[in-house]
Amino acid sequence: MKTKIPDFVKTNQFGLLLLVIVFILLFTFTTDGFSSRFNIYALSRVVAIDIMIGLAMMVVILTGGLNLSLGALGVSAAMFGGWCMESMGIPISISIILILLFGSLLGWINGYVTVKTGVHSFIVTLATMSIYFGFMTLLTEAEAFRKLPETFTDFGSMKLFNKYISPLLLLSIFTCFILFYLFKFTDIGRKLIAAGANPDAAELSGISVNRMFIYCHMLSGFLAAMAGIMLTARIGAAIPSMAGHLGFDWLLPAFLAPVIGGTLLSGGKVTVFGTMLGAMLVTLINNGLYLIDVGEFWVRFFLGLILLFAVLLDRAREYFTSKNSIVS
Amino acid sequence: MSKNVLELTNVTKNFPGVKALDDANFKLKKGSIHALLGENGAGKSTMIKIITGVYKQDFGNLIIDSNKQSFSSPNEANKSGISVVHQERNLIRRFSVGENLMLNNLPKNNLGLINYDQVAEQSKKWLDIMDLDIDPNTIVSELTVAKMQLCEIAKALSLESKILLLDEPTSSLSPQDTKNLFSLLKRLVKEQDVSIVFVSHKLEEVFEICDEVTVLRDGKNACVSENIKNLDRQKLVKLMIGRDEQIIKSKENINENKENLLELININTDLGHKEISLNLKQGEILGLYGLVGAGRTELIKCLLGLDRILSGKLFLNKEEIKIHSPKEALEKYKIGYISEDRKKEGLILMHDVLTNAGITVWSKLKKILSFLNNGIIYNKVDPYVKKLEVKTPSYKQLVSNLSGGNQQKISVAKWLASGTDILFIDEPTVGIDIKTKAYLHELIINLSKNGTSIILITSDMPEMIGLADRIITMKDFRVVGETTNNHNYDDMSASIMENIHG
Repeated sequence: MKTKIPDFVKTNQFGLLLLVIVFILLFTFTTDGFSSRFNIYALSRVVAIDIMIGLAMMVVILTGGLNLSLGALGVSAAMFGGWCMESMGIPISISIILILLFGSLLGWINGYVTVKTGVHSFIVTLATMSIYFGFMTLLTEAEAFRKLPETFTDFGSMKLFNKYISPLLLLSIFTCFILFYLFKFTDIGRKLIAAGANPDAAELSGISVNRMFIYCHMLSGFLAAMAGIMLTARIGAAIPSMAGHLGFDWLLPAFLAPVIGGTLLSGGKVTVFGTMLGAMLVTLINNGLYLIDVGEFWVRFFLGLILLFAVLLDRAREYFTSKNSIVS
Repeated sequence: MSKNVLELTNVTKNFPGVKALDDANFKLKKGSIHALLGENGAGKSTMIKIITGVYKQDFGNLIIDSNKQSFSSPNEANKSGISVVHQERNLIRRFSVGENLMLNNLPKNNLGLINYDQVAEQSKKWLDIMDLDIDPNTIVSELTVAKMQLCEIAKALSLESKILLLDEPTSSLSPQDTKNLFSLLKRLVKEQDVSIVFVSHKLEEVFEICDEVTVLRDGKNACVSENIKNLDRQKLVKLMIGRDEQIIKSKENINENKENLLELININTDLGHKEISLNLKQGEILGLYGLVGAGRTELIKCLLGLDRILSGKLFLNKEEIKIHSPKEALEKYKIGYISEDRKKEGLILMHDVLTNAGITVWSKLKKILSFLNNGIIYNKVDPYVKKLEVKTPSYKQLVSNLSGGNQQKISVAKWLASGTDILFIDEPTVGIDIKTKAYLHELIINLSKNGTSIILITSDMPEMIGLADRIITMKDFRVVGETTNNHNYDDMSASIMENIHG
């Protein structure tokens, strides 16, 4: 080797960053209005939420599991928040804390049931998805909360940086930094990753794996509730159907972001900034395709295709990690 | 002079950064048992994988029955009559013996469905050749480990293999089962016209059954097809490691009068242990010997709280304790466990050296707000990783990329770093090369000299007799005997075997 290539160039994230730039350039030159202030602002509001739900899924994928209840949980938390602020008149800051606690509680239920029954979280969260959404619809009678405090909804429509960027995006990026710090620089973060990578070895090394898995689910609930709050602020109302029926609309971006970002589906590896870039890529493609005017169905078709491709990539990644051994 | 059925000439195989085989040769005579030896990382596995079609050599030739061959898959090697029996079992546990044996060629009836009578009948033929008294309809998971091993060989024979590669076939067998296996192998060579390549770390076995020896060192031949009669143990070890072997230095037995540190009284467990009573003294190495399935590892796991103890008492320093989890064992009672299965339970293969070496000390090292960075961990574990002479390019290296010996060193290092008072050490040298093995033996002795109390589980009789102060023998989840070790191999092995079979 003559010149040393910096390590970050070889990473998945760097490839993603290039892709994001390529798509930005592509859409800027091929479509009208992509680079308009209006579109960039709209994009920043959408991508902020996609990043947050991507992170919420990522922390459960870390355990080798899935959280299908993500959308239902997020919307339930948002509706709970709407009730707090509108019906109960609880101050915004306290309401937000309550919402986040509520999300963590629902996540704790997911985690507790998964750990205690030993059933895969796929099944458990499939059940709780239905339960959470059902309860929420029952309690709210499918009615929206539309008279939220103005300070709260104003935040959702605030414009920063010469009116290009929503503060919601800054919030998501800030959350990325917090999570990165958690996984890279704390005892608990390392334990979460170790438990996800090899539960048996982690347990025998003195880590309480069950507790770590429950923490992951709680964190997922927390982040999903966060996404719920952000979506409520963006729309200006808490609406039961804002993430689609049973919260399905969130599932595709939730999977796509971490998997494209390089998080292994079998667990034990997280890439916080990969997930962020993954979410950006997905939102970009989504937005670009709409601007090119290919039609709703084609957009779905392409996103599905990207998910399949990303899963193939995941398999390949796992294969190469296992074949990495030089001499056996 | 008999001809060669299998020959590798001047074979070289490169992997990124490593020359796994460097101009290596190998000749297998028809009807012989040939030992392929070398330390971990010497190139044995690579050579076997080239012979069985998993890898393709970069240079050199593979010659079978005087014809140049080149396999592009293990299947092709199979068809040319080459079979390999791996350390890991390759049988489907829920299938019957017959189904497993006939799997590649299941007899069918007129409707195209499996003809189970034929399956039983045809597989019986191979079991008979091996003198194996097993009903072909037995489910594999019901067999003993030894019988499974024999079934694997029967399966290889059923493929009409003429060349059998056995990779550490005795690593989980008792001395008696090993003996049976050897007499069978000798018979196969004579009667079935089979040639055998035998890979093992146990040199006693090599001298017992092999005719010729090929030794690899750092990918090169240290010798090719040397007649076993020209060699003795010392010469062989010198060929393998490039210097003389260090014999296990037995340590002085510890003072009998020392206090009991850990004491088990009439422990019954959920897994079926009955009335286990034993005690471990301060600074002692207590050996737990027994055949595979005697319940030794299981006992340790119950002590760590992974499975339930139903009744009985556990004392630490004369105080009754209950351990609910390995976390509690480590953090509250300073007890650690070095697993026998380093790949599944000992290490996180997909993570790096630093993570694996430091995992047991994270809790202890964390600062305010759970802060913990690589530097803090490095400072703590580096002395131990250095002390164990772990060979790794950096702390960022994934442990899956290290050799077996270095992996084992890391799974030991993390427990040294954790500073436990009591260590349960389970089969510390399985599949480990001689150099590392001697090193680990010395380490275990030094640990106990410095006051760590150790319960040692090993199925390697010389290792047990070299290291232990006292030896407890277990059988069928019970304690069947206790002997103070006098470090005389013949005495001790006789008395242990008497405990097991008497």
